Amino acid sequence: MIDWLALSVALPLLGAVATVALPRFAVPLGLAAALPTVWAALMVMVLVADQGVQVSALGGWGAPLGILLRADGLAAALLGMANLVALAVSLYAPGYFRGSVLEARFWPLWMLLWAALNGLFLAGDLFNLYVTLELLGLAAAGLGALTGQRAAVEANLRYLLVGLLGSMTYLLGVSLIYTALGTLDLEQAARELRAGPVAWVSFALMTGGLILKSALFPMHFWLPPAHANAPAPVSAALSALVVKAAFYLVLRLWLELFGPVVGASAALLLGLLGAAAVIWGAWRALRAERLKLLAAYSTVAQLGYLFLFFPLLAELPAGTARTELLGAAVLLALTHGFAKASLFLCAGLLQKAAGHDRIDELSAATQALPVVTLGVALAGVALIGLPPSGTFTAKWMLLTAAIDLGQWPWVPVIMAGTLLAAAYVFRVLGHAFASAPRHGDAPPIDPRGCPGANAIGLALQLPGLMLALVAVLALGMTAEPLWDLLASTTDPSEAAP
Amino acid sequence: MKRREAAITALVLVLSVVLAWAFWNAFSGPTGDRLAELTATRVPESGVTNPVTAVLLNFRAYDTLLELAVLLAAILGIWAVGKASPGFLPAGAVLRALVGLIVPLLIIAGGYMLWVGGHAPGGAFQAGALLGAAGVTLRLAGYPAAGLPPEALLRVTIGLGVLIFTLCGVALMALGYGFLTYPLDLAKWLILVIETAATLSIGATLAAAYLGGRADPTDSGDGVTR
Repeated sequence: MIDWLALSVALPLLGAVATVALPRFAVPLGLAAALPTVWAALMVMVLVADQGVQVSALGGWGAPLGILLRADGLAAALLGMANLVALAVSLYAPGYFRGSVLEARFWPLWMLLWAALNGLFLAGDLFNLYVTLELLGLAAAGLGALTGQRAAVEANLRYLLVGLLGSMTYLLGVSLIYTALGTLDLEQAARELRAGPVAWVSFALMTGGLILKSALFPMHFWLPPAHANAPAPVSAALSALVVKAAFYLVLRLWLELFGPVVGASAALLLGLLGAAAVIWGAWRALRAERLKLLAAYSTVAQLGYLFLFFPLLAELPAGTARTELLGAAVLLALTHGFAKASLFLCAGLLQKAAGHDRIDELSAATQALPVVTLGVALAGVALIGLPPSGTFTAKWMLLTAAIDLGQWPWVPVIMAGTLLAAAYVFRVLGHAFASAPRHGDAPPIDPRGCPGANAIGLALQLPGLMLALVAVLALGMTAEPLWDLLASTTDPSEAAP
Repeated sequence: MKRREAAITALVLVLSVVLAWAFWNAFSGPTGDRLAELTATRVPESGVTNPVTAVLLNFRAYDTLLELAVLLAAILGIWAVGKASPGFLPAGAVLRALVGLIVPLLIIAGGYMLWVGGHAPGGAFQAGALLGAAGVTLRLAGYPAAGLPPEALLRVTIGLGVLIFTLCGVALMALGYGFLTYPLDLAKWLILVIETAATLSIGATLAAAYLGGRADPTDSGDGVTR
C-alpha cells in the first residue's frame, strides 16, 4: 500500500536529513529527493482527479483522536502547482549557487520548506496546520537570511517575528475552537461550529493571523524587504508559494469553517483590504528602483486580487456560478505562482549578469540574455493579465461576477490595478529594446559589455522560461481540467442547500 | 508617551475582555466528547501507559515528527545567520570539579527520563532538554564545543530524530500497516527507538543552538553569492 499523501511530506523530510548529514553531496541528494517528491504530489493530484477526495488516517486512529491528511480538488490543485514550481526552483538552484558556500546550505532548509508546504496543503487537522505553518515560517525565514548579509538578516528577522505573531494568533483561534467543540479535525469542526461569539472571535484570530502571513495590505510591510533581499531561488519560493499557502488556508477555512457562520461583512472587509493592496502594491511596484523589489511589491498587488473574490463568493449561493468563480480564484493563484516564480528566477539571472538589479541600468543585461528577457516578458504577460494567460481568464470571470452581482465598485479597482501592472512590466521591458543610454553622460549600451552573461548557460535559463510558459500558455489555453478537479472540493454550503 | 501608553492599555483591555467573553462562551456551551476521555480509553492500544506519550508518539505522532523538523529548521536557521561566538575562559578548579559531577548526572537523568516516559511523566523532549542542559553547562565552564561531537557527526545527530521517525513511518507503510501505524506488539519498541533518536537530536540541537552559530572554522562567513 503506497500512501502518496504521506509520501509527499515524508520524502522531502528524508531529503532534508540527507542534505544536512552530507553537505558535500547536497545537490545530488537534494535532486534525488526532489524528483520523487514531485512524483508523489502529482500522483495525489491524479488520484483526486480520478477518484475524488483522498483521505489518509495517519497512525490508523482516524479523527478526532488521530490526524487525517486530506486532499480535495483545491488542495490537489495548489499541491500540483507548488511542486512543479518547486521542481523548477530545484533545477535552477544548483547553477545559481555554483561555487558559493550557499550551495550546500540551501538544500536542507529548502527541503524542510517543501515538506511544510506539502504538509500544509494536505492537512485536515487544525493543530497540524499550525505545526506546518511554524515549520514553513521558520524554514522560509532561514532561507531568506541565507546570505548572512545585514539587510537580509534584518528583513528576515522581522519576517520571522511577524510570522510567529501570525501563527500564535492562529493557534489562539484553534484553542478557542477546541475548547468549544472538543475536536481539532477540520471537517468535524465545520459540522459543529455555529454562529456565535466563539465562531466570530476564532474567525478573527485565525484569519487575522493568516492575513499577517499572507501579507494582505496593510500587513504587507514585511514582505518587500524580505523577498527582495533573499537569493533568487528563495525569493521565487517565498513569493510564489509561501504567501500563497497562507492565502490557501484563509480560503479553505472560510469555505469550510467560517463562511457559513460569519456573514458577508467579514468577506467585504477582506475584499476592501484586497482592493487597497491591488492599488498600493502596483503603485509601489511601479515606483520601485530595483527589479526584485518590483517583483515583491507586485506580489502584494496580486495577493490583493485573490482577496477580491471573498465578497463575491459570499454573495453567491451554492451552485455552478459559485464553483466557477472559485475556480477563477484558484486559477489566478496558480498562474501567479508560476509567473512570479518565473519572474524572480529570471531577475536573479539578470542580477547575476549585471552585478545589480537596478532597473534603469539593466539594458545591457536584458539584451545579452534574450531567453531570460523572454521569460520576464511572458511572466509579465501573466502578471498583467493579457490573453492567453490564466490571469486573463480569471480576471475576466472576476469582472463578470462583480458586474453580475451589482458589486461594480470592484471593477475600477481591477482595471486600475491591471493598468498599473502593465506600466510596471513595460517599464522593465522597455530597457530590453533601448539602444541609447537614458542620460547623455551614461556609457553606451553594449550587450557584449556584460561579461557576467557569458557564464549563464541555457540550462540555468530554462526553468524560469518553462514556468512562464506554463503560466501563459498551459494555464491559459487548457485551464478547463482545473474546474473538473475542483468539483471535488469540500464546500459544505453545497452539500447543505 | 503617556497618551500612547494609555491607548495601548485601553486596546489590550478591550481585546482581553473580548477574548475572555469568547472563552467563557466556549467553556459554558454544550461540547462534544472531549479528547481527554477518548484518549484515556484508547491508551492501552498505544503500546505505552503514559497518556501524554501515547498522544505525542502514537495518536498524533505526525505532529511530533513535524515538531522535530521545526527544531531542525531552527538550528539550520541559526547556522545560516553566522558563526558561533567565541567561547568563555576555562573555568576555575572548583567549577570544573562541579561540572565533572553535574554533567554525568544530567546524562543519566536524561536516560532515565527517556525510559520512564513510557509509563510516567517524561519522554524525549524532557530527556533531550536535560542533555541540552548538560551541553550548556559544559559551555559555561569553558569547553568551547559544549560537549558536541565534531561537525560531521553533529550533522548526523541533529537530523537523527527526523530520520528514524520518517523511516519508521515509511517502512510501516511499505509493510502494509499505513504511515506511522504501529502494530500493537511492536508499538512499545518502535516508540522507544524513535524517542531515543529524538532525545539525541533534541539534546544536540539545544546545545548547538546555545553556541549561537555554525561551528565550522574553514568558512569565511561572508556568504557571497557569485
